[in-house]
Amino acid sequence: MNKSIYITLLFLLFAVQLFVPAQMIYQQEDTLHTGTAYKFKTQPIDPSDPFRGKFIVLNYEMDSFATDEEGWDDFSGNVFVYLKTDAAGFAAVKHVSKTLMDTSDDYVIAESRYNRNNRVNFDLPFDRFYMNENKAYDAEISVREAQVDTTKICYGLVFVKDGTAVLDNVFIDDTPIQEFVEEYQEGIQ
Amino acid sequence: MNSKLERQLAELLEADIINSETAQKITAFYHTKDESKPNRLFTIFGVLGALLSGLGIILIIAHNWDDMPRNIKTSFAFLPLLIGQIACGFSLIKKKSTTWIESSATFLILAVGATISLVSQIYNIPGDLSDFLLVWTVITAPLIYLMRSNLAVIIHLVLATWYACYSGYSFSSIGHTPWLYLVLFAWVIPYYMMLQRQKAETNITGIINWLLPLSLVIVLGTFTNGDTLLLLMYIGLFGLFYNLGQLSIFKNQKLRRNGFTIIGSLGTIFLLTILTFEWFWKDAIKETYHGSDVLITIILFIAGIATLAYLHLKKQVQGFNLFQYAFMIIGLLYLTRGIGSVYGIVATNLLVAALGIFAVRIGINKSSYGILNYGLLIITALIICRFFDTNLDFIFRGILFIAVGAGFFFANYLLIKKQRKAALNSTSNTQTHE
Repeated sequence: MNKSIYITLLFLLFAVQLFVPAQMIYQQEDTLHTGTAYKFKTQPIDPSDPFRGKFIVLNYEMDSFATDEEGWDDFSGNVFVYLKTDAAGFAAVKHVSKTLMDTSDDYVIAESRYNRNNRVNFDLPFDRFYMNENKAYDAEISVREAQVDTTKICYGLVFVKDGTAVLDNVFIDDTPIQEFVEEYQEGIQ
Repeated sequence: MNSKLERQLAELLEADIINSETAQKITAFYHTKDESKPNRLFTIFGVLGALLSGLGIILIIAHNWDDMPRNIKTSFAFLPLLIGQIACGFSLIKKKSTTWIESSATFLILAVGATISLVSQIYNIPGDLSDFLLVWTVITAPLIYLMRSNLAVIIHLVLATWYACYSGYSFSSIGHTPWLYLVLFAWVIPYYMMLQRQKAETNITGIINWLLPLSLVIVLGTFTNGDTLLLLMYIGLFGLFYNLGQLSIFKNQKLRRNGFTIIGSLGTIFLLTILTFEWFWKDAIKETYHGSDVLITIILFIAGIATLAYLHLKKQVQGFNLFQYAFMIIGLLYLTRGIGSVYGIVATNLLVAALGIFAVRIGINKSSYGILNYGLLIITALIICRFFDTNLDFIFRGILFIAVGAGFFFANYLLIKKQRKAALNSTSNTQTHE
């Protein structure tokens, strides 16, 4: 192959390599700036990823929905979870659907399996929150301890737009989890 | 030139086996050969440097600098990627040495991984490790051809195998059959064939000779759910590997470079030994099948048979070799498993014993202690398996063990005798000529 074709192809590849992360960033930034914010009550646990580092897995309280609609038993696959805000200001399920509905309600795409007795169970996709390696484990411990002693609520602040959901931060009673962990670490020293 | 060779040359000169002119020619030959070595060393160190610094960047990113504002972290995310791209572009445009090409390609592949990692981390982008590995492998795959980088092939295979395992063996959630792995695997084949044509004897080709079959062996299990069909699938794969390893491009190389033959042979023997147990044949009768499992098994068997047919057509088969046909025999036994489990068990036991004896024969013919003892080990493994699961009495089992033990001594003795005789013959021939 001609050298100039090689170089052109190489630069095309470079463009793709730059485009992929740039597109990821654009989609997330767009959702953060123009999406709607929801608070999802959650409980963090601390595992690790070899490339992206330590993170906490968020076990959301909102993980199922009772429906009268037939045909959900033994269904597994993507499910459109339409959202509303409850009286306390936290996210709640308005309805669920196997297909995209013609409505202006915000929705997230979750993975559903093991549905029984007309209860649709699902896993929300934004369940990873990456943290500093020295804080992830303490995040799990401190939140657990805080919730045993008091009525503190842990929630993930998620921006939603056109099915894209961006987990912005995790809070414990309006304190960002990073600050909460720092205070906890100072307390045990 | 190393001092060992210098000493040997002095010894040969002293014993009047070579004259000083020949000694000088030998010395000159090794001097020229040594001149290419520094380049190779530079390449190895260059690639090691790129690998280590690339991995270092990934680790530093994994720390998660949460004090830094999001936009600064995002700008930093592109830094390693841009450095890698500039290095690759520079290497290609300025036609730099292999050291540059290999190091910059290695660094860029790792930099792409680092950038995606950092962006995923900054925005808490969902998706498990398999999604991440897939994107990473796909957007770095063209570097193999554009940079003509051998290291890129190795990293590509490692990443593709990792992706398939993580996705298919359901470590994190429900396992998904990693069909895209087949595309990623096929992507390197044209490059590998080019290496076989142009650089068959190089170390890198030797490494890929091992990596390709190893990757398939690791990943094949993700394509099925059935137990007995999984074993049959692997027997088909090992049969295909063994026959591929008999193609002249591999056969003419040293055995240790022939990953296809070694993995094919070891895999076949290992699985056949499992198949000598009763449970396999009993389960095989009961098992229900999925369409894709059966299809993959059939494809593997057809590929194995086609390779064997090709070897016969191109007259690359030297005499009868039972190892080349073992997978077909098991395939037939599996198809006729309805006759009864006893039939399958007895036939497989006989097949393993025959393969052991066959390996001993090959070992004696080729005067190879390795192959000879491999054959004896096959027979021993078979007897050990029967030691645990048959109702044979102790005396009979004891005699069997003594017989195999004696077989080890006898077969090795035969080979030593054969080699001594050959050595004596060659000495007497030399004396006659003088």
